[in-house]
Amino acid sequence: MGPFDQATFSAAVLLTTPLLLAAIGELFSERAGVLNVGLEGMILMGAFGAYWGQWWTGNLWLGMVAGAAAGVALAAVMALLSITAQADQIVVGVGLNLLALGLTTFSFREVFGDRGEIVLDRMGTVRIPLLSRVPFVGEVLFSQTPATYLTWAIVAMTWFVLYRTTWGLGLRAVGELPAAADTAGINVALRRWQAVMVTGALAGLAGATLSIVRLGLFQENMSAGRGFLALAAVIFGRWKPLGIVGACFVLGGADALQLRLQAEPYVPAEVWLFIGLLGLAGAAWTLTRSRRRASVTTVGALLGLAAIGVTLRAMAPTWSFPPQLWLTLPFVVTLVALSGLAGSQAAPAAIAVQYRRERDV
Amino acid sequence: MRRDQVTAALSPVLVNLGALLLTVAISMGVIAVSGNDPVAAMRALWDGAFGGRTQIAGTLSKMIPLMLVALGWIVAYRARRVSIGFEGQILAGGILATWVGLSFSSLPMVIHLPLAVLAGVVGGALWAGIAAVLWARRSVNEIISTLLLNLIAIQIVNWLVRGPFQESTGTFPRSGPIAPSARWPELIEHTPLSWDFPLALATVFGIWFVLKRTTFGFRLQFTGANEEAARYGGIDTRSVTVIALVVSGALAGLAGSSLLLGGESRSMSDNFSANYGFEGIVVALLARNHPIACIPAALLFALLRQGGGLMEARVGVPSSVVMITQGLVILLVAGSGFLLDQRGRVRVDAEESTPHPPTEARRATVEVG
Repeated sequence: MGPFDQATFSAAVLLTTPLLLAAIGELFSERAGVLNVGLEGMILMGAFGAYWGQWWTGNLWLGMVAGAAAGVALAAVMALLSITAQADQIVVGVGLNLLALGLTTFSFREVFGDRGEIVLDRMGTVRIPLLSRVPFVGEVLFSQTPATYLTWAIVAMTWFVLYRTTWGLGLRAVGELPAAADTAGINVALRRWQAVMVTGALAGLAGATLSIVRLGLFQENMSAGRGFLALAAVIFGRWKPLGIVGACFVLGGADALQLRLQAEPYVPAEVWLFIGLLGLAGAAWTLTRSRRRASVTTVGALLGLAAIGVTLRAMAPTWSFPPQLWLTLPFVVTLVALSGLAGSQAAPAAIAVQYRRERDV
Repeated sequence: MRRDQVTAALSPVLVNLGALLLTVAISMGVIAVSGNDPVAAMRALWDGAFGGRTQIAGTLSKMIPLMLVALGWIVAYRARRVSIGFEGQILAGGILATWVGLSFSSLPMVIHLPLAVLAGVVGGALWAGIAAVLWARRSVNEIISTLLLNLIAIQIVNWLVRGPFQESTGTFPRSGPIAPSARWPELIEHTPLSWDFPLALATVFGIWFVLKRTTFGFRLQFTGANEEAARYGGIDTRSVTVIALVVSGALAGLAGSSLLLGGESRSMSDNFSANYGFEGIVVALLARNHPIACIPAALLFALLRQGGGLMEARVGVPSSVVMITQGLVILLVAGSGFLLDQRGRVRVDAEESTPHPPTEARRATVEVG
């Protein structure tokens, strides 16, 4: 199994948790028509807020609440400027990311600068009775922290709220055709505000899982691009809860794999086999999926990749690969995944579009 | 000029000034919270930026990457594409410029320097080109692709300065010294200000001219204002947008080459882009996407950067305050846009898109008001 063992899969589930929380949070905003680029900043605020909250109260769960509150605080700025003041959503998001980086760095140095590194109690894993004893799956899925279980519950609730409640129906309507939703008596601005607040809370929780759940530490800029991976996961997951779960597992898996591979002296032979299988699967998928004639170059390239992978597996060369470049694996996977999905027809129609009532002054 | 035209021209300036004053007030508040004297901090900021010949030269040289990145944002934004990949494009441009600067050291300066600068431009253009092609061919959102490309470029530089490019002793994470024949000559002797400063200024006017007075500028403007109408009017909006993104990357690549071939640096280190890629966006927003207005806006941020060092050394204000200030400028400038007269703006828009857009587009313009 080489690097594809239980430890890597467990790590993948662990690394997926913050991504999934943030991406599911972002789903609320985007389905309501708000493209929230400030997600990264909200995660960072949550990470600091949670650390500060747990340090202040001495309670990890109160820290989680503080993290969510910090995310909501930044989300309120986002909503005020982009919904109420009708500023460009993307520009405001970029500004919020800078502001959050500055604010957390500043506050961390002000509060903890002279105290040295304080490691807080982390969240322990809770083994779910019976289920955790299932071989492999039990260790991977059911021996995680309560934060991970909470995340899964939130995903299930999100699906229910978006597709089985009037509030969720209204939210989706606001993101597709705000004028029609307005005619039907839905307060567009209010619904968008609510959606952005939910995003802030979930992104804040995502930050909390990074700082206090996993490490018991806060580090400057510790979100390290995860907000943008989560934004990509929403697109990759086609704006649907289940799709986002799949997308986040792919990205979390890539992250776990690269962490594992950084420690290897040279590229393990299993990686080449994996690349070969990926090429084969891609070729098969392209051939079965496309209704028109599949592009010869695409299939050829994928089959070529498969051939290279299998050959290298057989040769098992002792090539080393710099750790800095392994670090880019999740980003490269995201880019490839996004480019594999041509078209964004699944996007909410009114995303990043301001809504102004016709007779409103 | 009619009176309302004067108001229309002055109001953005006044709103910007208001936003800036508010930012300064909040930042001084933050400085006071951190237990420092805001007035002493402001004085240190001024002395650090304009206190002498070296300081002024430093401030001016820091304007170069800021102006170039701001121009990059403006060009891409004309096509309504939001690129936040300047950081990565600076790095990509810097990598190629450094590679040329480290090799071919036997070349005379007249060939070596232009070659290195060109390599920087090409590097930035290529890195942006990935995002542009992914956008055009596979509809990949350019905000996300450019950001991911930033993260990838950072790691590539991290690897290069510890691997293939590392200086000969192998102790520091930086490249060997770039050949003097690939470096910009000094504009003012014994200061960091070199001849790339006039080049950057010329680029500002060049981009202004292209956007304002050429067919390409018109096509770009039209594409950004109403893509469907532009396509109906016979413009290949996709190629126009791809070109805009690539040009925007080329400008950031030029900024990357300047950071390594001019100024104080003598070699490539791992974070030589130093957040210029994001700060340039702030400059463009403050200039409300007008190329010429980038010059004063860049001066303001160069001042913060140059003077911020002394502010930290003399008064103890942490550098993160500067980051907070930048974030506030974006938010307040963007958030105060609604104060500008909406109806006036719509009328200007309608006048600018002279070749009459089809009815659908015209209806869309009316609905905004």
